[in-house]
Amino acid sequence: MGTVESLLLGFSVALQPDVLWYAFLGCLVGTIVGVLPGIGPLSGISILLPATFGLDTTKSVVMLAGIYYGSQYGGSTTSILMRIPGEAASVMTCIDGYAMAQKGRAGAALCIAAVGSWVAGTFGVLMLTLIAPPLATFALRFGPPEYTALLVLGLVFLAYMSSTSLPRTLLMASVGLLLGTIGIDNMTGHFRYSFDIPELGDGIGIVPVAVGLFGLGEILSTPSANMLRTVIAPKLRQLLPSRLEWRESVMPIARGSLLGFLVGLTPGSAHIISSFLSYAVERRLSKHPEQFGKGAVAGVAGPESANNAASTGAFVPMLALGLPTGPITAVLIAALMIHGVPPGPTLVNEHPDVFWGFVASMYVGNLMLLALNLPLVGIFVNVLRIPYGYLYPLVIMFCIVGVYEVNHSIIDVWIMLIMGVLGYGLRKFGLDPAPLVLGLVIAPTFEMSLRQSLIMSNGNWTIFVQRPIAAVLLAVCAGLLALAALSLVRARKDWRSKLAEAEGGEGG
Amino acid sequence: MIIRTDHIAGGVFVALGLGVLALSGDLPIGTLSFPGAGMMPKLVTGLMILFGLLLIVRAGESAPLADLRWGDLPHAARIVAITAVAIALYQPLGFVLTMVLLLFALTFGAERRHALAAAAFSIGVVALTYLLFTVVLKTPLEPGVLGF
Repeated sequence: MGTVESLLLGFSVALQPDVLWYAFLGCLVGTIVGVLPGIGPLSGISILLPATFGLDTTKSVVMLAGIYYGSQYGGSTTSILMRIPGEAASVMTCIDGYAMAQKGRAGAALCIAAVGSWVAGTFGVLMLTLIAPPLATFALRFGPPEYTALLVLGLVFLAYMSSTSLPRTLLMASVGLLLGTIGIDNMTGHFRYSFDIPELGDGIGIVPVAVGLFGLGEILSTPSANMLRTVIAPKLRQLLPSRLEWRESVMPIARGSLLGFLVGLTPGSAHIISSFLSYAVERRLSKHPEQFGKGAVAGVAGPESANNAASTGAFVPMLALGLPTGPITAVLIAALMIHGVPPGPTLVNEHPDVFWGFVASMYVGNLMLLALNLPLVGIFVNVLRIPYGYLYPLVIMFCIVGVYEVNHSIIDVWIMLIMGVLGYGLRKFGLDPAPLVLGLVIAPTFEMSLRQSLIMSNGNWTIFVQRPIAAVLLAVCAGLLALAALSLVRARKDWRSKLAEAEGGEGG
Repeated sequence: MIIRTDHIAGGVFVALGLGVLALSGDLPIGTLSFPGAGMMPKLVTGLMILFGLLLIVRAGESAPLADLRWGDLPHAARIVAITAVAIALYQPLGFVLTMVLLLFALTFGAERRHALAAAAFSIGVVALTYLLFTVVLKTPLEPGVLGF
C-alpha cells in the first residue's frame, strides 16, 4: 500500500465521529494544560492515562497525543499575556510576546503564535507521514547490538543537548536505569531490589515516577503565595496582525518549522531546546537584532513554530523505532503497550489503522487547535482566574487517582509520593529529572539487548564495532563525547550554557 | 572550604550507590558470554557513583549550600503529610471520602481558605469527578466503606 492509500485509510479512521471527539477532547485538555503554569503536558498525559483504558488503542493515543501538541499551542497564551510560561517550551515566547502585548499587540502576537503553530504542526505531520514508514522498514534490520548502540547514542545525545552539565544528565540517566532494573529479571527470574514487596516484582512503573517527579514535584516546588496573577483577556477584533507583521513572520515560521522538526527527532527536551535555538537563529538572521526583547514579531513566530514542529518530530523515532526521545513519548509508548500494541518497526505493517489513523488525526487536530486557540482565547485565559490554592489540591487528587487506576496498586501511589519528594529535592539541587524518566523507560530494552548481544557474540565486546550500523552509531557517540570534552576543557560558554542561564532566569 | 550544592548532591548519590552495591551481594554478575541478573544493576550503580564523584570534583561551579532558599519547605512538608495520610486512607475509605478529606485539608488546612468555601469546593469537585469517571469515562473508582 502506498503512502496516499495509507493516508486515506488513516483519514477514514480519524474522521469517524468518535475518534474526532477524542481528538477534540485531547486538544482541549492540552490547551488548558498548556495555559496553566505548573501543569505540563507530561503530568496531563500521565494523569489522564487511566481514563483511556476503556477506549480502543487509536482513540487513546489520538487523545493523549492531542494533549501533547495541544499544550504547545496553549503555552503561548500565558507567555504573551502574562509573561508566565504556561509550558517550558514557551519560555522564549515570553520575551517578545509580552513586549508585543505591552505595545497593545497582544492579539496579533497570539494570532501569529497560533498560525505559526498550525503551519509548523502540519509541516511536522507531513514529514512524519513521509519519513516514519521508510525509517521503520530500515529499522527492521536492527538486531540487539544495533539497539544497544542506538540506546547508548540516545543517552549520550540527551546528555550532550542538555542545558545542565554532561555528568549531571548522565547521573540522572544512571539513576533511571538503576530504577529500571528493580523487579524480576526476565532472563534468569531473579528478584532484584524488591524487598519482598510483591508489587515491586513487576518493576517500577513509568506513570508513578513521571507523575511524582513532574506533577507532584512541581507542586511542592511552587509556593502558593507566589502565584498571584492579573489576567488580561484580548478582544476578538484585536487578533488580526497587520500586513507588516504577517510579512515579518513568514520566514521565521518556515525556518522554525524545519529546525523544530529536525531537533524533534533527537532525544532530549526537543520542544524546549528547539524554541531556544529558533530564537537564537532569528536574532542572528534579523536585520534589526536590536528589536529582539522589545517586541520583535520573529521572536514569537520562530520559537512557537519550532516547539510545535519538534513535538511532532518526536513521534518519528517513537512510532518508527519504538524509541522514546523524552519522558512524554515514553508515557505515550506505555499507553500503546497497555493496549497491547508495541510501537516500533512492526507497527506500520501490523497495525496500519492505529498508525495511519493517528497520523491523520494530527492533521485534523492541528486544524482544531487553530479554531480553538484563536476565537476562544478569552475563555482559556479565564482558567487562570482559578486561585492556585484551589487548583493544586485538584491536581494532587488527579495524581492519586491517575496513578492508582493504572494497576489498582497503592504501592504505585506511595512511589509517586516518594518521587514527588525526590523531584522537589532534585529541583533544589539543580538536577533535571527528565533523564531519570528516560533512563527508567529504556532500562528493560537496554539491558535485554546488551545481554542478548553478549550472548550472541559469546562474550565478545567487539560485536558492537563489527556490525556496520552499530559501529556508525557508536562512532557518533564518541564524536559527541569528544565535543563535550572539548567544551569542558575550553570552559567556554556555548549555546547550552546560555540556554541553562535563560531557563534559570525565566524560572521555567 | 565552602560546602556547595554539588558536594551534597554528588555525595548523596555516591552513598546511594554504595548502599545499592551492598544490597546487591547475592545478585550474580555471570560471565561475559552469559551475563547474570546482577550485571546491569552493578554496571549502572558503578556509573552512578562515577558521575556522583565527578559532580563532587566539579562542585566549584555550583552555588554555595548556604545560598539555597528553603522558604517553601514548610508548605511542601504540609502537602506531603496531608497527601501521605490520604494515600494511607484511600483503600479503606474509598475515593469519595478520602478525596473530600484531602481537598478540605489542603484548601482549609494548608491554604487557610474559608471553611465553608473549602467544604463546598471539596464536596463539589469530588462529586463532579466521581460522575466524570464513573458515568462519562466508565472507569469505576475505589469504593471503600460507602460501597460506591
